[in-house]
Amino acid sequence: MDAFYASVEQRDDPSLRGRPVVVAWRGARSVVCAASYEARVFGVRSAMPASRAERLCPQAIFVPPDFTRYKAVSRQVREIFARHTDLIEPLSLDEAYLDVTTTLSKLPSATATAEAIRQAIREETRLTASAGVAPNKFLAKIASDWNKPNGLFVIRPQQVEAFLAPLAVNRLPGVGRVMEAKLAALDIRTVGDLRVRPLSELEQRFGRWGRRLHELSAGIDEHVVQPDRPTLQVSAEDTFEHDLTLDELEPHIRRLAEKTWAAHQRESEGEHGRVARTVVLKLKTSDFHTLTRSLTPALRPSSARQLADIACALRERVDRPVDVRYRLVGVGLAGFVDRDSYFAQSDLFD
Amino acid sequence: MQFSIQREVLLKPLQQVVGVVERRQTLPVLANLLVRIADGKLTFTGTDLEVEMVATTAAEQLADGEITIPARKLFDIVRALPDGVRIDLKLNGDRVALHAGRSRFTLATLPASEFPTIDEIELVERVSLPEEVLRDLMERTAFAMANQDVRYYLNGMLLDLQEHTLRCVATDGHRLALKETQLESSVAARRQIIIPRKGVNELIGLFETGDGQIELEFGRNHLRVRRGDVVFTSKLIDGRFPDYEAVIPLGADKQATLDREVLRGALQRAAILSNEKYRGVKLELSPGRLKIVAHNPEQEEAVEEVEADTGVSDLAVGFNVGYLLDALAALRGEKARLNLRDAQSSCLVQEDDNDQARHVIMPLRL
Repeated sequence: MDAFYASVEQRDDPSLRGRPVVVAWRGARSVVCAASYEARVFGVRSAMPASRAERLCPQAIFVPPDFTRYKAVSRQVREIFARHTDLIEPLSLDEAYLDVTTTLSKLPSATATAEAIRQAIREETRLTASAGVAPNKFLAKIASDWNKPNGLFVIRPQQVEAFLAPLAVNRLPGVGRVMEAKLAALDIRTVGDLRVRPLSELEQRFGRWGRRLHELSAGIDEHVVQPDRPTLQVSAEDTFEHDLTLDELEPHIRRLAEKTWAAHQRESEGEHGRVARTVVLKLKTSDFHTLTRSLTPALRPSSARQLADIACALRERVDRPVDVRYRLVGVGLAGFVDRDSYFAQSDLFD
Repeated sequence: MQFSIQREVLLKPLQQVVGVVERRQTLPVLANLLVRIADGKLTFTGTDLEVEMVATTAAEQLADGEITIPARKLFDIVRALPDGVRIDLKLNGDRVALHAGRSRFTLATLPASEFPTIDEIELVERVSLPEEVLRDLMERTAFAMANQDVRYYLNGMLLDLQEHTLRCVATDGHRLALKETQLESSVAARRQIIIPRKGVNELIGLFETGDGQIELEFGRNHLRVRRGDVVFTSKLIDGRFPDYEAVIPLGADKQATLDREVLRGALQRAAILSNEKYRGVKLELSPGRLKIVAHNPEQEEAVEEVEADTGVSDLAVGFNVGYLLDALAALRGEKARLNLRDAQSSCLVQEDDNDQARHVIMPLRL
């Protein structure tokens, strides 16, 4: 979906149309959730601090996010996908991979399927979406960004090499600033530069990651579309207006534990419900070091209160000086197991 | 302080005490062994404040004194020296010099006065029994102890002393292992103590085959075990062990007697296709026969049929196959007996001709 949250806001409030819209919470430490294309002209991007967005584009209209509406649209869009295939791997509320090798709609090509989906989204949600059609996931992702907004881009198998060669290496998934610098030191700046390097050299320098780089440069990606990817962790986290000490975190941990527990309860319901056994406490210090502590108790937590108690107790395992302050705390549950199996073993002393 | 000793004679007491010393300690001196020479005897003591082990041996050219020496380093050096070499150890100031053949080591020490020892244990009861018997009791129940359970009193072994009987009991809350023996003498009052898991494992490691005798001293807060060459002392877990007798089923009237080894073999094969995590197998009894069925998430199936001396029909119960195998491995004798009631009730597994060893296993709802 194009500028998803911002587009939903513009759709639902005609006064916002054609104007720079930034979706973000109010607050000193809030970050931009989404920016309309009008705002992007000024350099506003998602994930940038809201204060920076305000400086770049003082005339922007700031709107707080309303996830209930975004989720409703997301469900609508997924229903449209489901008319064409069962192999849907959602990445977020507004992005998904679809395997359309064979489709329920029996359209003649992947390109025709993508166009049909884009048209249905336009008609049924009054929002625009962009699509990439390619032989694998990593190329499809690049292709979907190619003609944004409201665009379609197709990479045919015989075009893969020519398409990739001029791209900067940072377009490859997993190549961030650090990797980009390492590659630049080897005089590798484009995917084409990478492509001509022997596999042995890349493997020697980067190990298994070297092999993956080599494959990506040739447009090879064996990862399949994974529908219903099981939940690995449910969590809730919060960044504070002012940094807090470890002791002061308790009320926040308790509040977040409630949210995490509610998410866990949704996961544990239903016929194939699963329950989590591991409690995770996440902290970010005022100087941006992230630490996590986790515990898998013999008996899993069975209430928000127990979750909060364990998460609070995990603070004792933080070995930083007592005067360290924290800007963020998160409470998570991980280590999901099948609910019915977990309860299957009966106890001697009940 | 000094002594002279042959490597092998020194290695044995070091092996006996070094296991008690934790790799990470709260106090520096706990990384050391207390070495003491007095009354013509050489003793080594290791402790983690919970479990203390004292081993005694004979040495030559003794000069009385006491000091503490890094445990791991001393043990590693002695172990790595060549067979049969003579080792001379001498305290010089605050260092210990160890000479053996052409090897020389100088080790740091800490004063013996800093080393915590458990002296008096407020003795309340004392029993004596053959080492072989105690070893059997502990080895055949220890596997059922809990590990790091929040019910801390399960992370150990219950010693239950009553009249002529000593029982060892261990349980992790899902299954329970019990073994008992008759004592030569009887005790006046019932005593129940829980030895922590680490103490149990250290003690089991100490046992030797032979016809030696062991003294068990029940203290108010400690258990002390004496054998000729070693004295083991453990703090007790301060908690109430669950009422284990209440969970040994009496009304389990549906019995089946089977060849123990045949049953073990069948369960081991069925286990291959049980769910890796929950290890469930279904036992189905019908007259003259026990059927064992296992499934895994891939929908593969194992079916085993074992001849059974039973008249029971139409009973199906699920169990963790690991618990059944543990119990059968801890039994002796040719025949094993299963006592069942229904799919919700526990199973009692024992030898066919006696109830000295009893194993209670709770079912799995499959």
